[in-house]
Amino acid sequence: MKRKIVLLLLTLLAALLVACVQEEPEEPAAPAEEPTEAPEVDEEEPAEEEGEAEEEAPAEEETETEGEAPETVRIGVVYPLTGALAATGVASQDAFLLAAEIVNNEYPDLNLPMAAEAGITCLDNAQVELVFADHQMSPEIGASETERLITEENVVAILGAYASAVSNTASQAAERLGIPFVNAQSTSPALHQRGFQWYFRTTPHDAIFSELMFQFLADLRDQGTEINTVATIYENTLFGSDSSETQNQFAEQYGFEVVANIAYPSGTADMTSEVQQLIAADPDVVLPTSYVADAILMMRTFEAQNYSPEAILAQGVGFTEGSFLETVGATGNYIISREVFALDLQENKPIIGEVNTMFSEMYDRDLEGATARSFTALLVLADAINRACSTEPEAIRQALLETDIPSEQIIMPWEGVRFDPETGQNVLGTGIMVQALDGQYQTVWPFELATQELVWPYPAWDER
Amino acid sequence: MEETIVTEQARPFPIKTLILLLLAAALLAFPLVVSLPFPRRLMILILLYAMLGQAWNILGGFAGQVSLGHAAFFGVGAYTSTMLLMQLGLTPWLGMIAGGLVAVALSQLIGYPSFRLKGHYFVIATIVLAEIVHIMFTNWDYVGGAVGLTLPLLPESLINLQFHSGNAPYYYISLALLAIVMGVTYLITKTKPGYYFRSIKDDPEAARSLGISITRYKMFAMAVSAFFTGVGGAFYAQFVLYIDPNSVFSFMLSVLIMLIPVLGGIGTLWGPVLGAFILIPLSEFTRIYLGGVGGALDLVVYGALIMLVAIFEPRGIWALVERFFGGRK
Repeated sequence: MKRKIVLLLLTLLAALLVACVQEEPEEPAAPAEEPTEAPEVDEEEPAEEEGEAEEEAPAEEETETEGEAPETVRIGVVYPLTGALAATGVASQDAFLLAAEIVNNEYPDLNLPMAAEAGITCLDNAQVELVFADHQMSPEIGASETERLITEENVVAILGAYASAVSNTASQAAERLGIPFVNAQSTSPALHQRGFQWYFRTTPHDAIFSELMFQFLADLRDQGTEINTVATIYENTLFGSDSSETQNQFAEQYGFEVVANIAYPSGTADMTSEVQQLIAADPDVVLPTSYVADAILMMRTFEAQNYSPEAILAQGVGFTEGSFLETVGATGNYIISREVFALDLQENKPIIGEVNTMFSEMYDRDLEGATARSFTALLVLADAINRACSTEPEAIRQALLETDIPSEQIIMPWEGVRFDPETGQNVLGTGIMVQALDGQYQTVWPFELATQELVWPYPAWDER
Repeated sequence: MEETIVTEQARPFPIKTLILLLLAAALLAFPLVVSLPFPRRLMILILLYAMLGQAWNILGGFAGQVSLGHAAFFGVGAYTSTMLLMQLGLTPWLGMIAGGLVAVALSQLIGYPSFRLKGHYFVIATIVLAEIVHIMFTNWDYVGGAVGLTLPLLPESLINLQFHSGNAPYYYISLALLAIVMGVTYLITKTKPGYYFRSIKDDPEAARSLGISITRYKMFAMAVSAFFTGVGGAFYAQFVLYIDPNSVFSFMLSVLIMLIPVLGGIGTLWGPVLGAFILIPLSEFTRIYLGGVGGALDLVVYGALIMLVAIFEPRGIWALVERFFGGRK
């Protein structure tokens, strides 16, 4: 009796699976039958599955033979769609879909690569089709999904993978199979130094951001602001210690004196002694590297101790996360942070506003750092495929190497997109400095993109 | 304990050997007929997790000590072989054994205090101790901290345990590892330690009264279990070529290692294998076909199946298989 119930339920489950899969138009119909087999394997011998996989293989190869101009160009997207970073991953998915929409249809008014005409023009207006895969933040799954998209979904290139740890293994799989891997967001400096041939990164990495902070300070010093000393205060895991270390290098290079390096344990309950050390060292500029909870505590301690240096210049992350300004309110005002993107850039770059209007109409949210970079990465890739005029991986790789997109045609504050032929890193990528003014971060540097006058020095707590 | 032995002796499957031979032949021939990397990778994962599940089963299934901290052994194995490779250039084969031995040492450290605890308290102790190891590795800069370790790419060869042109060698290695663990488990079930394990599981007081040193045999079960889990970790590091604390020490990994034998059939020889053949493809295929749209539908389906088994056949799917075969005869 029980046995029958179990069987019945298993069958129902299988039916549910089939139903779900068939509602999903993106997936190819043939292999869609397969997952229904999975729950049923248990009854008989497990080896059954092998047979299917093997039958599938020749069929796939037949369809792979490329005609002169394919109707669609398939691009694999490996992102975190479930788990801790699901919100970011799904937002990125939306941004990719908008970029594909712009490539696939005619938007002559948008000054973006591939917008004016429909599809990949050189390939008889072939449509770009995105094949999404979820890596669940696991480096192993990231590599596995990349491999599957390349060998079974016949994608011509991969976009991935948000988290640096997953980009690491996923790009390794793409490298082995000889398919271009375009990385939109991962910022670990090690990624482009692996000597890979097929790895391209559009976003600037962490070392670039650290250097920018010192270029910003040097710019101010050249204008006559007196800045001599800096101090770092950082959380003591790798993110913070790395940041402090590179900041020390750049401080020396740009001629600033580091008067203190103060580490604190991430998630600490009290920061009084660290702030006391800062007061004793008395730097002109404080350079914090923190996650959001510590950033909140740090600012509250500054206020409680009535400590105001000339400026607080943060390494993004904790200080720019949405919940930071919401929580600290006016206490957060006048903090400066490096940032990858800000919506107020549209005042000097109207294209950002145009794209953001489309994006918010379609998905009911504004562009931010992650989505803007996803959007840009797909356009860069589509542009390369068009210039390659082919879906051959090697041709696309060559075209990517020859990429040269000017600043006006991207929605980022970058000077453009051009890849270093050795490392695949975008050499024109850069960031901005934002300052919290009236509870909102506004662009203050580079000066030509600024929407607000920089407030310097940091006002004392009783003079606000 | 009596139950399983009775079924096996009173009703030996005449077709059992045949099925086994067919299965072995199918497994050996698999990479020859399937050339696509993804199904091969799936099979490698199945074999690896079957091995991990079986290693857990020695402690959790046969000796009855449910651990939810096996990720600690897995991670320590992965980190040991990787660090030995990166610092000393030691071949991963020796690294694998070293990784297993370090896992054994850790298991004895964890086991000694926590075997004084019973039932749920032992489970909690293993969770907590594994999390401590996880946090230590996350903050330990020498081993890469939170960023993890990228294994150096070496020329592909058996001695380097790296294969870049195809994953068939990984497949055969994982198959061999599983075969070894299966063999050891079989041996244990047929010899004195196995009987001791079961007696400890069924009635520790009675076992003690018969003069069995409970702690010693629990520690022994833990050591064997940890050794193979550590070896599995070292293999994983060589296969993925990148490890970080979140992927090798995560609590979810401990749960998965436990889930496989529990779902397949706890305390049975074939349960973990069956469990891996069901759970791993299930999680992969639900993710592939349902995961791309977001919304975590894949995980819902995955969870639903586990609940079904838990409700209708708590002894695992192997018990179901046995009943089907038993019924037909």
